[in-house]
Amino acid sequence: MATPYYIPEDRVPLPPPNAEVFTTACDYCIVACGYKVYRWPVGKEGGQKANENAFKKNFPVGPLGRWVSPNQHNIVIANGKPHHVIVVPDESTEAVNLTGDNSIRGGCIAQKVYNPSKPTRDRLQRPMVRVADTLMPVTWDFALDICAEISKYVLKNHSENAWACKTYSYQFIENTYAITRFALKDINTPAFAWHDSPAPGEESAGVAFAGFMTFGAGYWDRANADVLFISGTDPFETKTILWNEWIMPAIQKKKMKVIMVLPRKTAGAAYAEANGGLFLDVYPGTDAILYNAIARVIVENNGQDMDFIKNWTSNFSAPQWETESGFGRGTRNTHWQWITTWGKLAAKGYDDWKAWLLGEKEFEINKASEITGVSVEKIKKAAELLGNADGKKKVSFAYEKGNYWSNNYLNTASLGSLALLTGCGNRPGRMMGRLGGHQRGGVGGGNYPDNKSPDKFGGRRRLTMDVDRWVESGHVRLAWVVGNTWLSAMAGSQGLMDTFNKLTRQNPHQIMSLVKEEIIETLKKRVDSGGMVVVNQEIYLRDPIGAKYADIVLPAATWGEVDFTRANGERRLRLYSKFYDAPGEAKPDWWIVAKWAKKMGFEGYDWKDSNDVFEEAARFSRGRQDNNYDALVWMAKKKGVKAYELLKKFGTTGIQTPVVVVDEDYKYDRPGAEYTMPKAMKDSNDIKADGYKIIGIARLQDSEWKLPDFHFGARFVDPKILTAFNTQSGKANWLKSPWDVFSDFFDAIKPKDDELWVTNGRINEIWQSGFDDVERRPYITQRFPENFIEIHPDDAKARGIESGDMVLAYSERIPVWKDSNMGTNALDTKYSNLVKQGHIKMTKASVTAVAIVTPAVKKGVSYMYFLHPTQPANSLAPRVPDPLTNQYRYKLGVGKVKKIGESPYKNDFRAMTFARRDIV
Amino acid sequence: MDNTDKKDCLISCLTTRRQFLFLSGAATATIMLTGIPGLGAKEVQAVVSKYPRVKIGKLSALKQDMPVAFTYPTKDIRNILVKLGTPAGGGVGSNNDVVAFNPVCTHMGGPMETAYKAEYKILGQCPFHQSTFDLTRHGMIISGHATESLPQILLETEGDDIYAAGVIGLVFGRNSNV
Repeated sequence: MATPYYIPEDRVPLPPPNAEVFTTACDYCIVACGYKVYRWPVGKEGGQKANENAFKKNFPVGPLGRWVSPNQHNIVIANGKPHHVIVVPDESTEAVNLTGDNSIRGGCIAQKVYNPSKPTRDRLQRPMVRVADTLMPVTWDFALDICAEISKYVLKNHSENAWACKTYSYQFIENTYAITRFALKDINTPAFAWHDSPAPGEESAGVAFAGFMTFGAGYWDRANADVLFISGTDPFETKTILWNEWIMPAIQKKKMKVIMVLPRKTAGAAYAEANGGLFLDVYPGTDAILYNAIARVIVENNGQDMDFIKNWTSNFSAPQWETESGFGRGTRNTHWQWITTWGKLAAKGYDDWKAWLLGEKEFEINKASEITGVSVEKIKKAAELLGNADGKKKVSFAYEKGNYWSNNYLNTASLGSLALLTGCGNRPGRMMGRLGGHQRGGVGGGNYPDNKSPDKFGGRRRLTMDVDRWVESGHVRLAWVVGNTWLSAMAGSQGLMDTFNKLTRQNPHQIMSLVKEEIIETLKKRVDSGGMVVVNQEIYLRDPIGAKYADIVLPAATWGEVDFTRANGERRLRLYSKFYDAPGEAKPDWWIVAKWAKKMGFEGYDWKDSNDVFEEAARFSRGRQDNNYDALVWMAKKKGVKAYELLKKFGTTGIQTPVVVVDEDYKYDRPGAEYTMPKAMKDSNDIKADGYKIIGIARLQDSEWKLPDFHFGARFVDPKILTAFNTQSGKANWLKSPWDVFSDFFDAIKPKDDELWVTNGRINEIWQSGFDDVERRPYITQRFPENFIEIHPDDAKARGIESGDMVLAYSERIPVWKDSNMGTNALDTKYSNLVKQGHIKMTKASVTAVAIVTPAVKKGVSYMYFLHPTQPANSLAPRVPDPLTNQYRYKLGVGKVKKIGESPYKNDFRAMTFARRDIV
Repeated sequence: MDNTDKKDCLISCLTTRRQFLFLSGAATATIMLTGIPGLGAKEVQAVVSKYPRVKIGKLSALKQDMPVAFTYPTKDIRNILVKLGTPAGGGVGSNNDVVAFNPVCTHMGGPMETAYKAEYKILGQCPFHQSTFDLTRHGMIISGHATESLPQILLETEGDDIYAAGVIGLVFGRNSNV
């Protein structure tokens, strides 16, 4: 860990006028602000006069000027020689961070780069093999020969279901394409999961099933609503520049009302509430009741947008086929299907849904207030703000993990129906969708083999495999872990670590020699004895996955070290330029995959550079809503240039996907069009060929946009998702979200006696990248040297806890779904039935944290940072995914909290502050 | 959107441009060098960070939670001196509760000279983007976007006199404090 002592510097070098300039975007949150990198050789510096520096500014600069803070400077090796780099938000970017704004995370991203004299010095630089429990450097060929041989052995003797891949879904298009091409197309394993869930699938099924594209909105839409309803996230904390540059100015200047639903009052929630909005302080997991209760008040007062409902939702007065065909988006064995055959969840139309809503006892306002903890007054006020009988109010909805990582299906389905009630979904300023977590860097190089998964709902319905459960049951023999910690990031973390320990370190077959053949023989014996071989591909040695369990560690190159591409939360695609040399022998993940795959005899991995992968992956992006760039590559080919060369011209502004081909003289003038690409590119010949040009799209599902003639039909993008809901009928579907689907689980796990909710989430200062900010950035480390637990003053007093005390959060009743998901009847996978059938075991866990006593958190609820490396809050979360969607309920941690002493920070001024974060 | 307009609006909505320039300083930094043989007292442009020791006030004159302004290390850098009433990192006085900071937000230069909150011993929210800073903890960010702590003015005392003797951190807008 980095020293918690941050010693501020009082000087920073300025780039000379001839410094090289590279464009990129921030590597962290989904907003992905545009950044510029200024690079020049060590030994000289620019001056304070405008003609003496690359910014062309006189120093000192005034407020909002081009200041460079010391944390925005670093030293790197580029082309083998030491260089200064200044990494700063681009003031001239034409989208996202319009005024050159930055978050605390991106603003410090210069500290991410490898510098041997800074805390990043321990970057992985060589492939390593664990010999006699010591990771020893070897060569790429040596390490990958072992990976290839053991892979072939596992496939031959234990089947592809025993070869598991756990990978990030976001770390650049080129890498995710290569990884999925290898794991899903060539190996074709169903034991495949992304970094944040035990199985691939819809993240927010209820919203998607209703027909919303979850990344349809642009940031323009977030700043041009009358009311913005945000469920389960505060963009101030986690999508900072979306807040600073779009939402907050709309609150200030356009009097936009923001409603936030969270169990703790964050800075953004406090600001929204103080400016005419509303903070709905909900108990974890109870959102569905809250949204249905608000909907009920709206319906009872006839506040629904009836014109919209008639025109844009299924089966108002039409025959029932609208709804049925609306769901019929796939073949019979898709995950859509349970909803059509399990009549409990699908509504025939608005009238049917309304009758259901009014008949459910939990949604009566007093009952709902009791369960959710939100006052009757606030529920009424929310209904008043959202009510839209004349359809004139522009209402937008946004949501994130607090919503769908607590009660996945019901929360998303109820939010979708509430949005439809207010006329939200398919017009400017009236958009529904995710605010997002990681950036959108996923492109699939292969299809998931559904039919190989052992997991199944009742009836015919098959589900993607829960890989954690698959490991728990002992079926995985080789696990390839790419760019994620797997264990501490999953629910019931400590239990999962215990399982990994048994399958790896406790197995008798350990590598004791550096003779390659002996290593391979040892690992074959490991595999045959029921053990597991772990290959970890990473930029740092992570504990425990790399440091304790990996047999082979492969060093990866990352942001700034290789040219890569990715889209942000409004589908904006940009080139992330290489500006320095990767440390040691670290290589991009696509390079590692290609070498490994070729050693196994797979063909088509002859890429020479990132651009080759990007161009090949283009056609696989076609069906995607968040980064479809196929037409960009088509245009580049027409112009005879590399796709990267064309994308580079879009600079830090990029282009908002899907990229669409239109007539050369067509003018796309939908609201927000000015942000779809740089002004200078719109009339440029670079984007025109054969009488056509390419354009970016401000929003999906824009029903007021009259589509031009595309000439290429659905070759590049399905025209339907540009103007209609994503259902067979093009109209949105009404979904029921009955509480009794979830209530047995909720009643079983909710706090008993003196237990508290120990929920968790992100915090402004730390991104998911604890490996960067918590561990290797003294400025951030001093702020959060350890994990914290926010606790209400009443709960603290009852336990004798003060701010700065060291506390223990622990539980002996963390349920783990340990085996089998074979539902025969519809309700077999309901929690109470799983318990009855013996599929649930109870486990223990405990984590320490430093107490912060604050009334900002709801009484009865405590809150921790979710992904701390040494104090994993997820340990207290039940490892029982939503049986309908296989998504974890991370936010539903519960435990007892007690003081074990004082932390050193209680009386130290140097690290950690206990001041309130919700001061307005 | 035109960035310039947006910036101008953000500034004018809150105060005047002149006030801003005054707060964060827009002149070239200079220091007085004396006692160097052959040079005499001469103003030269600073090339290294070297801080003068300047008397800025008296302990007995400070009222708790009433910040006072002073300039340091140059005439165009305005800071605040405040008696918090509670011990603080770098604090001087019998209770170690007298501290001084440059009040220009280290995010984008927002003015916080008048943003002291006595109840919490913090500076903020910054009127630009809502950052807050803990004055008991060396100006550490509490919540917000700044990429550095607030620059803390190093204080020393001699009897009742308070001296500024250095700056820990870089003042917004500058590449060097002096």
